[in-house]
Amino acid sequence: MNVRQRLSPIAPMPSANEYIDDRPSEGVFRVRKAAYSDPDIFEMEIERIFSRVWHYVCHESQLREVGDYIATEIARQPVFATRSKDGSVKVFFDACAHRGARLTTRRSGKAAIITCRYHGWCYDTTGKCTKIQYEKLGWPNGLPAGYRTDLTPLPRVASYRGFVFASLAPHGEDIETYLGAGARVIDTMVDQSPQGIEMLDGSIRYVMRANWKLQSENGADGYHVAAVHRNYAATVSYREQLMGDRIDPLKATEAGRILNRTSTRTGSYDLGKGHMLNWSDRANVAAVPLFEREPDLLKQFPEGFVKWMVRRGRVLTIFPNFLVNDVASSAIRIWRPVSANETELETWCFAPVGESAKARAARIRKFEDFFFPSSLAVPDDVAAMEGAQEGSLATGKNWIEFARGREFSKDGADDAAEEMGIVPATSNGQGDSETCFYGFYRRWLELMTPPQS
Amino acid sequence: MNKSDNSLFGRVSMFLGHEAGLIDSRDWHGWLALYAADANFWAPAWVDDQNMTSDPTRQTSLIYADRTELESRVFRIESEDSYASMPLPQTVHVVTCTHVEIAADGMAKAKANWIVHSFWRTKGAIVRAGRYEYELREEGAGFLIALKKIFVHDDRVAGPIDIYNI
Repeated sequence: MNVRQRLSPIAPMPSANEYIDDRPSEGVFRVRKAAYSDPDIFEMEIERIFSRVWHYVCHESQLREVGDYIATEIARQPVFATRSKDGSVKVFFDACAHRGARLTTRRSGKAAIITCRYHGWCYDTTGKCTKIQYEKLGWPNGLPAGYRTDLTPLPRVASYRGFVFASLAPHGEDIETYLGAGARVIDTMVDQSPQGIEMLDGSIRYVMRANWKLQSENGADGYHVAAVHRNYAATVSYREQLMGDRIDPLKATEAGRILNRTSTRTGSYDLGKGHMLNWSDRANVAAVPLFEREPDLLKQFPEGFVKWMVRRGRVLTIFPNFLVNDVASSAIRIWRPVSANETELETWCFAPVGESAKARAARIRKFEDFFFPSSLAVPDDVAAMEGAQEGSLATGKNWIEFARGREFSKDGADDAAEEMGIVPATSNGQGDSETCFYGFYRRWLELMTPPQS
Repeated sequence: MNKSDNSLFGRVSMFLGHEAGLIDSRDWHGWLALYAADANFWAPAWVDDQNMTSDPTRQTSLIYADRTELESRVFRIESEDSYASMPLPQTVHVVTCTHVEIAADGMAKAKANWIVHSFWRTKGAIVRAGRYEYELREEGAGFLIALKKIFVHDDRVAGPIDIYNI
């Protein structure tokens, strides 16, 4: 692994274990505030976390035809995924084998043959170089031995039920081992239709002036909902009041639950391996687009599993930067680290293939209510995370303590986890607890700590 | 352009400037009153680098709002309880009407370009730009908005997107 050259020999690389204060026997779990803003820590995260983990790339439904591609970044490196002529999804470093220019011309597009616009080299969807411009003129005696002309695929690419992941590291756990209990939560999304799920057209990238870990925390943080999202709830509740009798049951929302008018069971799991799950039973199941399929699902799956799919809202955070959410509507989100204090986010609505047109339209409206930077909720999350970033610069109290709800945490599965068939590292019976973050930051520390030599 | 320009183009241009002025001066209820009861306020999202979503029943939009949704967004702003909307930025809309025609159904269909500059003392300034397409219904001496379609050209944005800054 390349260790970044440091300009000054005086300043040592920070030691990650100075950033996490984890003393279970004393009931202390703290994260040093500088972990959110220190540029050296950020560079170490790029190298030791983002360059090693399985990183979400795209969903297979976004690459339907041969040559369809999506360009993105992993650990700041340009990569692209394409539907290959052999039917598989390939992920390549997005750089010409010749002089390294980025190959893709758009964020998404279609190219059965991709041509480098700098010197004209061409590649097919398997990464094979199919043409070197004026090859014989420039290399009359043939290319030098060992001159690699094909595209470089990422060392590891794998799909879990349509979600395509790639890793910059040649070795590591297979994707199912990596996802652990998170895989089963993904199943509660994918199994909603016999044909699986699809990503819907329509997205926008947005940037926040905050550290990427604040988004990792935010998705699993049930505590902020009552403060940050009471305005979302009050607003949709006001709208429902304006609509009065005209309201379609599918258009109704979970506003009442957030405003604490109805209370339902909630929970928060440290799933192990850094993944987290926050969940809450739905107060108004008729408002769920999937409700129409519940009878069919009950014929196919155990009752407890169907309860998780239909009657329980859930937010899954896969370490380090991928979220699958099925609460207000169904969404995935990826957040890409730009710098210690800037993060780029992107969100899509997903839906079970073949749902009714009515359920699909209702799902989309609910998605727009919550998940875009133009919605009634995400802008408030972003503003809150930016506020946390600004505040993290204040010293005086140098540590963030994660302590809420410790009393409600137990090792292993609770009865709800058993209904899904998972064994979390810890199960917390209150969704606004902070114990799920222990697993996230322990995984962070494990990866940030170089192996003992 | 001045107040004596009573051509259709002149009247529509004045109307679009009037709407932008109501937003920039935060006269939310004056602004809402410009919208017909069956109005549609629609900001599509991006599909790829060249195309925006065109079917709100099958694709996502940034905002796909009817009149009650607009009223609830005003409620949200006035509540001063939205983390992102309190404080509001100082906004200025620069709107240029480029085309007006009367359609077969009698509606005035207009196209315009826009730039919005938003400034927060706490966050600094952001600028974004795009196009509008309007369908306007003649109502007494003025117009009512039946459709406002907003194309946000930026597909990588900082800060919130809301009725006051697109």
